Amino acid sequence: MDRRLLEKAQNSFPLTVRPWRSIGNELSISEKEVIARLNRLSKQGFIRKIGPSLNAVQTDLRASTLVAMKLHEDRIQGVAKMIGEHRGVTHCYQREHEYNLWFTIAARNQPELEKTLEAIKHAAGVTKDELLNLPSIRTFKIDVRFRLS
Amino acid sequence: MDNLDREILYAVQDGIPLTREPFSAIATHLGLAPHEVVERLKRLREEKIIRKFGLFVWKNKVGIVANAMVVWSVPRERLRDVAEFFSRFEEVTHCYQRRTTPKWRYNLYTMVHGTKRKTVEEFVEELAKRTELEDYEILFSVREFVRRSTRVS
Repeated sequence: MDRRLLEKAQNSFPLTVRPWRSIGNELSISEKEVIARLNRLSKQGFIRKIGPSLNAVQTDLRASTLVAMKLHEDRIQGVAKMIGEHRGVTHCYQREHEYNLWFTIAARNQPELEKTLEAIKHAAGVTKDELLNLPSIRTFKIDVRFRLS
Repeated sequence: MDNLDREILYAVQDGIPLTREPFSAIATHLGLAPHEVVERLKRLREEKIIRKFGLFVWKNKVGIVANAMVVWSVPRERLRDVAEFFSRFEEVTHCYQRRTTPKWRYNLYTMVHGTKRKTVEEFVEELAKRTELEDYEILFSVREFVRRSTRVS
């Protein structure tokens, strides 16, 4: 039931005044039980949040890009920390590749984006050859949901 | 999106409470009825300002520990069809076309998640086989340093 509940709330959350009752109705359990189970699952650390994921472009962050860097293994952590201090950085991952540090920047406009990228480039001390700037041209899909059963 | 919409988003962006009427407190605070908050959220979802409203799990906790970005070099004239094909799979959470550079020829990006590294590799091989694409690389993530959600302020 926990898995069914998580999946239901993940994949088709009812936007109603009493959403837990609506979910309970569909799973044939009481509103009270839905709340109790979600409380427990939350305490057990399964739930990141119940709320919205927002579309950056629509909320006024219109410029974004993906950047890759080629770093010496023992510099990754330090550079990643510096990158994370920039407010416009939304993701930063170490990956198994010659280009081993990947991050995304979102900004209100192109000049603001370039400014952040320049600052990071400068602080990281990477050359042109050690960096890729890969802005997106088109988004085909963003839908983060996981099979839980 | 008006100021009231913005205030509603601001109030719910970090999550709603597990109370019987989770939108009531926000509604009272903004001088609205709970159903008005709900109607606005629904509209924001229709307008795609809210991409999704619902529960988000910590993926590690539910066993999703193999996460990869797969980069593909797809002939220009096939890009759209291939992207739409990849997007049909639940395992693919993100699919983007990105600019290429002289030293980086990959133009299509997919995020692929699974419970095991091998599962992800086999899944990607299957995608490659079915699209007859041979030029791709799988970049497994080693460590997550930053992940911030889009926010209103």
